[in-house]
Amino acid sequence: MNNALLRADLESLVGEQYVREHPTGYYIYGQQPLLSVAPGSLEEMAQTVARLAAEHVAIVPWGGGTQQRWGRPPSRPFAVLLTGRLNRILDYTPDDLTISVEAGMTLGALSAALAANGQMLPLDAPLPDRATIGGLLATAMDGPRRLGYGSARDLLIGIRVVEATGRISKAGGMVVKNVSGFDMMKLYLGSFGTLAIIASANFKLIPQPRSAASILCRAATPEPLWKLVNAIASSQLTPVAVEYLEGIDLADTPFALAVRSEGLAAAVERHVRDVTTFATQVGVQAEPLRDEAHIRLWEAINDIPQTASVAADELVVRVTCLPAALSSVLAAARTAAQHATVSLQAVARAINGIAYLRVRGSVSQLHEWHTAVLQAAPQTMVLAAPTSLVDEVPAFGTQIANLEVMQRIKQEFDPENLLNPGRFVV
Amino acid sequence: MNRAELIAELERILGPRGVVTNPDALLTYDADGCVMDTHEPHVVTLPTSAEQVAAIVRLAARAGMPIVPRGAGTGLAGGATPMQGGIVISTARMDKILQVDTANGRVLCQPGVINWELSQYLKSFGYQFAPDPSSQKACTIGGNIANNSGGPHCLKYGITASHVLAVQVVLPDGSIIWTGDGSAYAAGYDLTGVITGSEGTIGFVTAAWLRLTRLPEAVRVVLALFPDIAGASTTVSQVIATGLLPAALEIMDRLAIKAVNDMYKLGLPEAAGAALLIEVDGVEDGLDELLNDITAICWRNGAIDVRPARTLAEQNQVWAARKNAFGAMGRLAPTYYLVDTVVPRTKLPQTMDEVGRISREFRLPIANVFHAGDGNLHPIILFDRRDRSQNQRALEAATSVMKVSIDFGGVISGEHGIGVEKQDYMTLLFSTDDLAAMAGLHQSFDPHDLFNPGKVFPKGRGCGELAALRRSGVAWSALKSS
Repeated sequence: MNNALLRADLESLVGEQYVREHPTGYYIYGQQPLLSVAPGSLEEMAQTVARLAAEHVAIVPWGGGTQQRWGRPPSRPFAVLLTGRLNRILDYTPDDLTISVEAGMTLGALSAALAANGQMLPLDAPLPDRATIGGLLATAMDGPRRLGYGSARDLLIGIRVVEATGRISKAGGMVVKNVSGFDMMKLYLGSFGTLAIIASANFKLIPQPRSAASILCRAATPEPLWKLVNAIASSQLTPVAVEYLEGIDLADTPFALAVRSEGLAAAVERHVRDVTTFATQVGVQAEPLRDEAHIRLWEAINDIPQTASVAADELVVRVTCLPAALSSVLAAARTAAQHATVSLQAVARAINGIAYLRVRGSVSQLHEWHTAVLQAAPQTMVLAAPTSLVDEVPAFGTQIANLEVMQRIKQEFDPENLLNPGRFVV
Repeated sequence: MNRAELIAELERILGPRGVVTNPDALLTYDADGCVMDTHEPHVVTLPTSAEQVAAIVRLAARAGMPIVPRGAGTGLAGGATPMQGGIVISTARMDKILQVDTANGRVLCQPGVINWELSQYLKSFGYQFAPDPSSQKACTIGGNIANNSGGPHCLKYGITASHVLAVQVVLPDGSIIWTGDGSAYAAGYDLTGVITGSEGTIGFVTAAWLRLTRLPEAVRVVLALFPDIAGASTTVSQVIATGLLPAALEIMDRLAIKAVNDMYKLGLPEAAGAALLIEVDGVEDGLDELLNDITAICWRNGAIDVRPARTLAEQNQVWAARKNAFGAMGRLAPTYYLVDTVVPRTKLPQTMDEVGRISREFRLPIANVFHAGDGNLHPIILFDRRDRSQNQRALEAATSVMKVSIDFGGVISGEHGIGVEKQDYMTLLFSTDDLAAMAGLHQSFDPHDLFNPGKVFPKGRGCGELAALRRSGVAWSALKSS
């Protein structure tokens, strides 16, 4: 590769100030990129990818950098493609309740634009002021309110990507119901940028609720809280989030359950009333939270799974299982934490069967804990780990089915393995 | 392999009752609900298990014959029509609900289970399968998955794709895979998501874990009558924009009212130009407030009457009229062509004006029964198939509806699929590169075009050709100069 020529070409594409050799701000597990490029438009992004592909340079798409520790480190030298300059709203007619935005827009900026029109995209990802739409889609990151409104999988209605060759293609549209052609959104969502780089995305929006409140339930042991979860799940209540918290400071208690209700005032009050009654029946104290206290609670909960600032001795994983198995998986993680003498923090989408766990300790302690958790929940994914641990553990768990099919898809879309090499399942 | 050998092999796999070869019987499989194009299959198979489906697929590959999946044949886009003949695999004998797992919010069933029967069965557990296509009394879960079907309640509960948790699929290479177990985030690519809505072109679904949705505590239905369709469409636009989320918002126009009135004794004034069916659901508390706000919007937009369906029987009657409206069209014309497109919701009133104009331009009556809340149009072009001129005008009118929908920022199918019916209109919506990406996905599953060939992609633009095009890549210098 002729570095000088490549750099000159990239500079002529995107502007001199947007190309950096060996930039310092974009390490991934200790690996420094060869260069960074920040295209300012869809076309510039496509040309940048085509140019890098011509030199067989691997590409790591980089939005806010809040989830770059997820999965495995890159398997070979790479350039980072920064999406930060692609941060515009492309199409927004509020009364249609749909929006099209560029991938580099942060969730926070998007939420602010929507709030001005009484609307929202309730993805609830951690660190919304840094996390970008492209990154959230590439990782399929969820949030507590997936229970009530669905996740990105349900709200993403259109997408535009740059493929490994620099080709631009789109799928879906700006309507809420669409079966015109294959659902390529599902293919790219959660694919870690290994098939194509997301350039822009269209979403179905949700009107902001007229009223909202939370019920925070505290307990000394987890058991009554899971009884409460079951009572809520089998009722006809429609809470938008039910989050189980363990070892989290904000509740001033070792175990807590936070229930969020949104909608018409009468419906919200009904939820406060019924959840409080259910809590009393299982011997748990319930406190309603409204206004500022309600908002602050959820901002804090949303941020718990963050992987942007992780301690050097910290391991963050996501566990998924059938919902009914979640309490026993968490019990196994707790027991393992006691054995390995590491501290455990957990936040779990209690009715969805998803938990984000954080532990701190030496590499051997973390390894021991992780091995035990994998036994209980083979679908455990590493979101951040000490560099010396990350190569030693199966980052995507031990239950990876249909690898051959996935390899065929990868081979079709990125035969030279240029996009995020080594970091995903395939 | 000759025909006799093929049939002998199939009978060995399925038993004689599992193979249909009688020419008269084969004729009944020459189309689905879309009768514009017909073609009979070489043979029809009726497997009872995934293993049998896999054996048929392997045999078809050896014989160089396409396979065409078929549920109830209610599809309206020709997705189940064996355009190149071949082996039809019917799901008619794979019709069991295998497991209801309320603790994990999922139900396991075979593809031949009828949508309506599944929801009836789940009622006793306090749950439902939310997607409810109008053909739900006949259509199957397998067909719903293949077409990512919709229905009135998608407005609140989302499309089929949001309710399919994992699928068991026979792939074109004859392997049988499960894409997950119903838990979130199966490792790797979202195979469940890409198979749903792929119209049987990349995999044959032999079982599925579906999401259970709790039945709502309370439901209210009202029927608002308007002098014209403009008032009803504007009401829908405003209800959505105001942020009120009903469970369903369905419009029937004057012609449709006339058709269902006799059949269902609704006693709707035929002077009414449009009826808007509004359903809200949820916990009892607040529901009346929600409904009051919505009916206030109706009155503001010139409603002439707002009639609550007070009893369950009344609600069922209103819904029966809505869901069977297509059947009632037989009272108006010998044939109808139901067009399915979607527009952004604010464009609904203008689009309906255009549909009226198209009706006048092509001199054919058009009735409208549609999922207004989603912006999902269903103009029903009424004509007589025996009249060649009418036939031609009906096709041209349908094309105009698609073009108008695209011009307003919409798409060519909201819930019926592309199949054969709309394959040549895909280029109105998608560039060659867009189609090539879809072809790439297709090729990675079905490189020999064995599953439901000649569907979805435009005629003359085979998947292999499109995929080869994208593999050739683009030179960056060429881009630079463009």
